[in-house]
Amino acid sequence: MSRSSNFRRVSILGLVSALCLLAQEAPLDSPNAIKFDLKPDSPVALLSTSMGESRVTPRGAALVLDLHMALSLRNTTASRIRGVVLRVVSQEVAVGGKASVSVPSLNVGPGEAFPIRIDLQLMRPTQAAGGPLVQVDLDGVLFQDFSFYGPDRLNSQRALTAWEMEAQRDREHFKRVLAQNGPEGLRQEMLGSLARQAERPQLDVRLVRRRAVSGVAVSSEHTAQFAFLKFPDSPVEPLEGWAELAGNEAHAPRIEVRNNSAKTVKYVELAWLVSDQKGQQYVAASLPASNPGLYLPPGKTARVLQDSELHFTRNGEPVNIRQMAGFVSQVEFSDGKVWVPNRQSLENAALLRVLAPSAEEQRLSDLYRKKGLQALQDELKKF
Amino acid sequence: MKHPSQATLALHAGGDLGPFARWRIDRHLADCDQCREEVAAYGDMREVLPELGEMPEVAWSRLAAEMQANIRLGLAAGECVRTGEVPLRRSLFTGARAVVALASVAALLVTGLMIERPIPRLSLRNEGVVVQSIPNGIQVRKDGQALQLMNAGAKEQQVTYSVGAQGSMRARFVDQETGNVTFNTVYVEEQ
Repeated sequence: MSRSSNFRRVSILGLVSALCLLAQEAPLDSPNAIKFDLKPDSPVALLSTSMGESRVTPRGAALVLDLHMALSLRNTTASRIRGVVLRVVSQEVAVGGKASVSVPSLNVGPGEAFPIRIDLQLMRPTQAAGGPLVQVDLDGVLFQDFSFYGPDRLNSQRALTAWEMEAQRDREHFKRVLAQNGPEGLRQEMLGSLARQAERPQLDVRLVRRRAVSGVAVSSEHTAQFAFLKFPDSPVEPLEGWAELAGNEAHAPRIEVRNNSAKTVKYVELAWLVSDQKGQQYVAASLPASNPGLYLPPGKTARVLQDSELHFTRNGEPVNIRQMAGFVSQVEFSDGKVWVPNRQSLENAALLRVLAPSAEEQRLSDLYRKKGLQALQDELKKF
Repeated sequence: MKHPSQATLALHAGGDLGPFARWRIDRHLADCDQCREEVAAYGDMREVLPELGEMPEVAWSRLAAEMQANIRLGLAAGECVRTGEVPLRRSLFTGARAVVALASVAALLVTGLMIERPIPRLSLRNEGVVVQSIPNGIQVRKDGQALQLMNAGAKEQQVTYSVGAQGSMRARFVDQETGNVTFNTVYVEEQ
């Protein structure tokens, strides 16, 4: 038998195998597979849904769902929408079958439409119970006047409010630069922002939650203390804190904080920074208060703690932690108002080089990169 | 006029063409004297050939024995001058062919195994619930079940990943189609 004949047979075998695999895929039956739930009083209406190349593929005892959903929503209210959060739930995934897609920094007027895309992949057992594979519903909408609509099961009100506070802060900053230094000053500011975004070091962080992880000591583990960056206008002050470190792993962070403001605080979040052996600083995680029912009156102290393990790597290599630092990055008062650090504080602490830019700064710098300075100035005038 | 080939004419003369081809040639022969003569000549030849096969003076048995002896002599001479151990006839699956065949079978087996057993190996170690970034997205997984949100419309180098120590992971990017900032988040547990 000739060699070319052998190759031909192997090729045909491969082709047949590929066709068998393709034959298992099936387009998604969207009415049964996806449930999109909007309440009658919802401030947004669904204009259209496109499922694109969504597919369901059986793989042995599992089912793989590839969902590519493009939604078009319309603002049905008389107010401008600033942000939207959609909750995505797969009831069949036992733990963690929950996700969200949030779009902040919107400027959607009454009657205007806006798009949201959901690209999701789900692997679940084939023998699961009936019902939709994925359910999508509205978790919250934030309006220009900071009023909020939604069930808020994912604390969307706080997140959207904080993002809008940061957006206002950064828009004001860029408007001020434009007023003081002209278009060239704004250009330099944008170039600086883009350079920081390109150079900002990022760690690959893997978070693991186990049952009864507390008290499980890892060999070579030691307790390390946090150093704190304190902002003058911060309503909450970090007092002291520790975490357990072992090589490139850290777990059980706990931080003592005091409410220095005159209002009761119901949520505190700290930014957790780590330094590697060479002194390079990275953002490790955000560290929210563990107690969802936190009640911290003026002058009182509380402990922020979490029970997660964090594993740090960069380019596939473990990154051993030498030092830790932290600062208060978000505070929510009992009246729903949210505090975020001002831009001057971040600049003074040289944190702009370490932290990711705000969502609004990222959006505006991307606009400048793609459409130029005039488009950026026009965009700033809209707010 | 286009004439049929000599081979076709010879087959026609012997009655070895199919019905359609025979019909076509017959139509051609009706108008072509030249081809009709060729076919007639092939017919005459066929009548002579059986007589040649019956020539009494050709000793076919002796001729066959001599040919066999010559072949054996040739093989023996080849053995004498051969330097390496090269078999005259190779097995079908030897050398590179065998490697290719085995590699193909192995590839098919591995592919089948991956398709039929999609449970991540890590889950077998009871790793707990894990949230992490993956190529072009974020993921929460446990015991072989996984939920992933992909960074639709994002440039990978412009995606910012952040972890919430309470058990969440977030990917933030600018959608290149809409220009809107999008936050994708996966959660470990109910909040």
